[in-house]
Amino acid sequence: MGCSDMPVPSIIINSLTKSYGGLTALDSFSLEVEQGAIFGLLGPNGAGKTTLIRILTTLMRQSAGDASIEGLDILRSGRDIRRMIGVVSQENSLDRYLTARENLELHARLHGMEKQLYKSRIDNLLELMGLAGRQLDFPDTFSGGMQRRLVIARALVHQPQVLFLDEPTTGLDPQSRRAVWEYVRSLAGSMTIFLTTHYLEEAEQLCDRIAIMDHGRLIALGSTQELKERLSGATVYEIEFSGQDIDRYVVLLGSMPCVIDIKQAGSKVTLTLECWECLSEIVTSLNGAPVRRISLLERTLEDVFISLTGEKVRE
Amino acid sequence: MLRGSLAIWQRDMLILRRSIVSELMAVVAYPLTIYLAFGIGMQGYIGLVDGAPYSLFIAPGLITMTAVNAAYNESVWSLWFHRRVQFTIESYRVTPISVSEIVIAKIFTGFTHGIIKGCAVGLVLFAITPFRFPIEHLLQYLLFLIPGSALFSCAGIISGTIMDKPETIGKVEAVLVMPLIFMSGLFFPLSSYPSAVIPWVRALPTTALFEGARRALVAGEMMSMSVLQVSLSALITFVAAVVIFRYKMSE
Ligand SMILES: Nc1ncnc2c1ncn2[C@@H]1O[C@H](COP(=O)(O)OP(=O)(O)OP(=O)(O)O)[C@@H](O)[C@H]1O
Ligand SMILES: [Mg+2]
Repeated sequence: MGCSDMPVPSIIINSLTKSYGGLTALDSFSLEVEQGAIFGLLGPNGAGKTTLIRILTTLMRQSAGDASIEGLDILRSGRDIRRMIGVVSQENSLDRYLTARENLELHARLHGMEKQLYKSRIDNLLELMGLAGRQLDFPDTFSGGMQRRLVIARALVHQPQVLFLDEPTTGLDPQSRRAVWEYVRSLAGSMTIFLTTHYLEEAEQLCDRIAIMDHGRLIALGSTQELKERLSGATVYEIEFSGQDIDRYVVLLGSMPCVIDIKQAGSKVTLTLECWECLSEIVTSLNGAPVRRISLLERTLEDVFISLTGEKVRE
Repeated sequence: MLRGSLAIWQRDMLILRRSIVSELMAVVAYPLTIYLAFGIGMQGYIGLVDGAPYSLFIAPGLITMTAVNAAYNESVWSLWFHRRVQFTIESYRVTPISVSEIVIAKIFTGFTHGIIKGCAVGLVLFAITPFRFPIEHLLQYLLFLIPGSALFSCAGIISGTIMDKPETIGKVEAVLVMPLIFMSGLFFPLSSYPSAVIPWVRALPTTALFEGARRALVAGEMMSMSVLQVSLSALITFVAAVVIFRYKMSE
């Protein structure tokens, strides 16, 4: 670590590009992640999140650009990088023919750890992840949440400096998801954590900083708060109608130039306006309409996401 | 350097140990059936082949066939499964071991399966059939069985590396591997082929393997050119398997 006050970047990504034939999955992507941070990468399906993680974890070569982890170049120092990273991939890569404990032991051996060292380390991890009682069982008999915890434990056996988590909670029920969040949070500070997710709530709950990507490009970067402030110009209102014939008003509102986005759900219509002053125009045009209530909505990361990518996050 | 290979190979051996009884039963059943059906059932109709009773003629081939088949099958399916289904290969690849260490481990696993299963069939044939051979011939025989199993294990690794679909693997086995084994003088002497074809069949490493292995076991004959041919083929296939696997992993 440097002695200046500037945080030292743990991951430096510089104009990384990856093409699969004609498709550019990663397009001149640049980013820096501070040491010890929990960094979240948000993006819809096919945005290029897994591609980026695969390149950073040396599973795949980039087409152009470069990146380094803890100062080591990913192409030149693959083996040294793999020594200090832990990886939880999107697919479940547990060995279903080995018990939970054997899964961790094999991983420790592949990292060249000595038995007396990994034995106690594995005991601790199984305890921490709440799996100690099931360590002699096969992963097939585990719930989704337990399997995910086991994969995370496996990625931690060799005490990595940087942990990559590719959609660590996808497919888990809310309770298991919260459990995983807790474990991840407990690691904060002891290592750099780079995670991808579809869940805005996850990014909001866990991450110090968030990047949003789509079509292989970085489209926004900042803390949750900073990202929300990006939308400072726009405001979102919810209008609740009391009568019938709402469609007519939806068409009318949708045709107004100050309306960026309009959505209808039952008697409620959500309007995204260019600025709050536009509200008076709206009120004027709704003169005589059966409006029960107009309320200002608090903007969420979801709004940021929609306004940046033009689509909802698919879960 | 091969620390990673050792860890993966030991993992594979642990799995084999856990299922050894069912594995061996499955693997012994097939050659034993062939032995009983052809070696015993057809013996009276066939008479002597190359001066030996038919059952004695095919027994060494059945042992060799079991070994190389087991080596090939273990390698091809294990590689496909760990690459495409369980993603274990990927979990190995994010550790500090090299891609070569992974593929070498898998080649050794297939090879070990071949040797163990071949020996098991040999023992069973020895125990429950009249098939006998002078025990001192075993050493010559192993000179074939070892490179033969290695050759087929490497071939299996290549197939399991380049084929992504299980049905393709099944087809290649039916169209290429089984014919190669069956046509290499396992069930009949090479002299049965039309004379124009014989040089071509002889050029196949499988022919050198089956022919050489039989003569080694039954007659104690040492066909060094055949040993060399099989060993060289195994070496070339080994290099090819490592190169192809490394290439596939760098995609
Ligand atoms: N091996 C491959 N060959 C060809 N195209 C690929 C390959 N892997 C990914 N792609 C394409 O690259 C793009 C990015 O894929 P990637 O898996 O990185 O997205 P992702 O953000 O992880 O998506 P998800 O949220 O669904 O996991 C997609 O359009 C995908 O179809
Ligand atoms: Mg992905």
